[in-house]
Amino acid sequence: MRMRMRLKAAAAAVLCLHCLGVYLFTRGFLLTRTELSAFSLPSDLLQAQAPCCSELPSTTNQDQDLPGWTPPTVERVLILIVDALRFDFVAPSSLFQKKQKWMDRLPSLQHLASTHPSSSRIFKAIADPPTTSLQRLKALTTGGLPTFIDVGNSFAAPAIQEDNWIHQLVHTGRRVVMMGDDTWTQLFPHHFNHSYPYPSFNVKDLHTVDNGVAQHLVPWLHRQDWDVLIGHFLGVDHAGHIFGVDSQPMVQKLEQINAILQNVTDIMNSQKHLENTMLIVMGDHAQTLNGDHGGGTSEEVETCLFAWIPRSLPSSISSIFHPSTCGLGLNGKNICTSTMQQLDFAVSISALLGIPFPFGSIGRVNPELYALSPGSWDRQWLPASFYEDPSSDLKMWKNNYAHVLCINSWQVKRYIDSYSATSVMGFPSDDLHYITKLYNEAQSRWSDSKNRSCKPENGTIDEFSDFLLSFATLARSAWTEFDMKLMVVGLGIFIISIIFHLFVFERVQSLSNVYDNKTQKSSNHLQIYVAFLLVAVRAVSFLSNSYILAEGRVANFLLATTAIGSIRSSLVYGKIKKHDLVFLILIILIRFGIEKGMPKQAATNPFLNYDSGSDFDLKWLPSLFEGHDFVILLPEISPMIILFLLSFLSCKYITSTVHSRCIKWVVTVGTMLSYLFIATFWLSERSFAPKMVYVIGLSLFVLNFVLRYLGILEKGETVQRLRSLALVMVSAWSPTILILLGKQGPFVVLVCIIAGWSIISSKNKGLLDDCKMDPISVMQWSLLAICLFYQTGHWCTFDGLRYGAAFIGFDEFKVVRQAILLFVDTFGISHILPIFSLPFLVTIPNSSSSKGRDKTVIFLNLTQVYLLYGLITAITTTFTVLCVAIQRRHLMVWGLFAPKYVFDAIGLLLTDVLICVSALYYC
Amino acid sequence: MRKAEIGATTALAVHSLCAAGLATGYWLSHSLYSSSLITDPAPTLRILTVCEAPVVILLFSWLRRDHDRCSFIKAVARGLIGLPIGALINAFGAIVLGAPVGLKFWPATIYWSMLLSLFTFVPAACVFGASKLDWQQILSYSKPSNIVDYMLSVPAHGAIIGAWLGAWPMPLDWERPWQEWPICVTYGAIAGHLIGMLFSPVLIFLHRRHIRTKTE
Repeated sequence: MRMRMRLKAAAAAVLCLHCLGVYLFTRGFLLTRTELSAFSLPSDLLQAQAPCCSELPSTTNQDQDLPGWTPPTVERVLILIVDALRFDFVAPSSLFQKKQKWMDRLPSLQHLASTHPSSSRIFKAIADPPTTSLQRLKALTTGGLPTFIDVGNSFAAPAIQEDNWIHQLVHTGRRVVMMGDDTWTQLFPHHFNHSYPYPSFNVKDLHTVDNGVAQHLVPWLHRQDWDVLIGHFLGVDHAGHIFGVDSQPMVQKLEQINAILQNVTDIMNSQKHLENTMLIVMGDHAQTLNGDHGGGTSEEVETCLFAWIPRSLPSSISSIFHPSTCGLGLNGKNICTSTMQQLDFAVSISALLGIPFPFGSIGRVNPELYALSPGSWDRQWLPASFYEDPSSDLKMWKNNYAHVLCINSWQVKRYIDSYSATSVMGFPSDDLHYITKLYNEAQSRWSDSKNRSCKPENGTIDEFSDFLLSFATLARSAWTEFDMKLMVVGLGIFIISIIFHLFVFERVQSLSNVYDNKTQKSSNHLQIYVAFLLVAVRAVSFLSNSYILAEGRVANFLLATTAIGSIRSSLVYGKIKKHDLVFLILIILIRFGIEKGMPKQAATNPFLNYDSGSDFDLKWLPSLFEGHDFVILLPEISPMIILFLLSFLSCKYITSTVHSRCIKWVVTVGTMLSYLFIATFWLSERSFAPKMVYVIGLSLFVLNFVLRYLGILEKGETVQRLRSLALVMVSAWSPTILILLGKQGPFVVLVCIIAGWSIISSKNKGLLDDCKMDPISVMQWSLLAICLFYQTGHWCTFDGLRYGAAFIGFDEFKVVRQAILLFVDTFGISHILPIFSLPFLVTIPNSSSSKGRDKTVIFLNLTQVYLLYGLITAITTTFTVLCVAIQRRHLMVWGLFAPKYVFDAIGLLLTDVLICVSALYYC
Repeated sequence: MRKAEIGATTALAVHSLCAAGLATGYWLSHSLYSSSLITDPAPTLRILTVCEAPVVILLFSWLRRDHDRCSFIKAVARGLIGLPIGALINAFGAIVLGAPVGLKFWPATIYWSMLLSLFTFVPAACVFGASKLDWQQILSYSKPSNIVDYMLSVPAHGAIIGAWLGAWPMPLDWERPWQEWPICVTYGAIAGHLIGMLFSPVLIFLHRRHIRTKTE
């Protein structure tokens, strides 16, 4: 009894160690940036004696009432955000290798860009990953770099706590109007004068948001009581998600957007009050051809920004524009494009509108965007001497821009200082020194040029730019920088837990050897080495992204290897048994299931190039049976038949195994009812049926524990008792898991049962004792669990979750309830069922030698099985953690390694919890 | 008894003849048909099989186990029957391990499994025929009594392990043409087979010395 208590304590200790390790590693890996709560104030510039203002006594006095740091250079800004706008939607198709269906569908913008080259510009805007709407909106408004943790918050968008230009606008009394995506109202609940939010949740709805924006946009353009108007279209994003970029709905959507934009530009051209209004059409992020976004590939980050102002600007603007890529537009005129960082957007818009730059913004005022504003060409800050100088517009603009950049640099430097002072993890001191040096040089040059009252040359602009760009690079590396200390400590705890685990395992092993005859010791050791070799092969494979993508197939390959090895040993020890061949055929079936899921995965994963046609094509199969009714009926009927078979099997097995009569009847009736309800649900789609299945499953699960502690199931032999306990437990869970898996459920569960039977019966023939633990079988069990995870259409990314399963039996969404269902669906077949059914590995039915075994021996064997299973999971997860840590600079770290880590960490903790539950239940 | 005559040198000679058969096949495909394994795997594999098959069957029929009861012709016939059977087993094993089953892969799979059968199944079929005990013995290593056992078992296991290892680069995203089925698996199998063939004379040599010291 003391030993049992100790082992339970050991299981709990492993669970605690893993929790701690996961917590620490997650803290270090899924980084958070320290958000500073400071806000920029209009008076900051005067109080702080910022170097840029010393020369401007006249303007500061004169504009005392003006709330900004720089005078506004445009009157109004109209921002139209087209969600998931790709660069090639806007840019002329002549810039790309091949004209595609979706290109040149926004001719209104191209027309403006080609006919007004000095007052409009197409930018390729480079967004920073993660490229999800919420993160991008946060970055666009705060000018910072949101980190991965924010991705987790994406489900419940919280209000932005950091300083941002919307806040600054409201604070300086500007009127902001918003229409479109309701994420904006979640981010800025109290900021807008008027808002027309439309739900963004329903991806299938292509039109509600866009039509809503179009409906409100035109009336507002005729009104004058606004300063900034934001319209956020979602149709392009949704069309991409559902139909992909290369599709007719996408083309229609772009044409609709084009019509709206044409209307807007016509109005802006005709209305006098919109003359000084800048129109910005931009994407928050781009999308892949499949319509996905979130990662950091060029397809996802290269979005577009188009800026235009109805007023004409000096022609010398062309020398400010970068010599850039040009291509012929639809009307045969040249269209040129530039490149900008999306990071620069927040501070650029602040400079245009003349509001204090957001405190946490680390961007640079973009020269080309700034040049597009009429105000930047005015004589704003020129010393009196300048007025006499008949210098060109260009020099004046450069002076203005240098001034703005000076304030910009001062603001960023202030942010660097306060960030270094307050945050726990500052920037590396070497880099900080370098940045400070750059800043000081630029400032001294600026004040020199001021003091000598000559024109600030290009050099000053370059130096300020240099400082700002260097800092942006540093910030990018720092905020995707991981907390190595925490990561190493977390990893260390994982390794300690493995050592502890091994130690416990070794102790139990030696204990069971004491009880057993020691003749088979060496053989058992060989088995353990083989099992660990397989674990090692699998674990090392996680170093490569390709193997993570192909994890299901790798697990299947290893499972097949063990099966072939087991056939080989069957040959050595005698004849090939039937179950060996059955197992091989099952492995082929499982493989087809895994490969069927691959194209689905490829469709949502930009990294996975999976050619579905080459590998598994059964296209010829339906043509053979064309015209027969059963082709249509087969997919409908076969789950029912298998379900019937399953219910028959479980009924038979329960009645023959469980001896206590009342339990037998309760469990059999419960299971039969569950299967009946599943069948009714599939035939009639009634939602009460799944609920009943859940209720029966839960009550059986609770009943198990109650009976267990009342001691009703204690009667009979140890092996007998253990088997019936495990059977009752599995029967309690399987209907729920089955219904969540949908129509593939019966087939998968049947495969699971037969494969389990094969593994049990092909247990190591070298061992004389049937109840002895065979490490290879445990390894096969664990590999089978992984294969089943992939076979049932799951994979290790968040879009690999089968969201549909969460709504089986329920129509409305409740977070906790749906999360539990989704969790059971995701981990049911791969964790819950395999772990609860592990006792079958030590209790082979109808084996003569297992009769009359010592209770302690059985118990020790069971413990060994559980310890080994836990150990295998722990080692693989530790290697996942290690590989994630090694690959933290990998291109696919957020797309692939981080989700894999999250899934594995959850799987490990779940395994530990289930082992603890099993320890309580079975021991 | 011919058995006693076989020493490490004979084994080496037999193995080098087998390797020469492979090399001839490769040279033929390269010079006559200007096809390599990477560009068109199925024809190359076919040429390799055609060149290797007579060499292997003739050589190992000469090494057959029971000279008294079994004529040379009978051993050759056993080898010829063993070829498709072994191919079937190898193909099944490959499909279990994850080889693609699409129609367009069939020719390559068939020739590949023929070649593997020549590496693994056919030699043993020529030597043993259908003797179950011998097959078990060669699989279990328990009694390495015979020199021919080494010659059969080591290269065959080498080929299987080589093919197994050769499958590992397949899922990688290097997008090289040789990652296709069955090219890298074939390379792995051939490499493993050659290493096994080099290794078995060494083992035989050690084995004989061991026996000699024992008898002395």
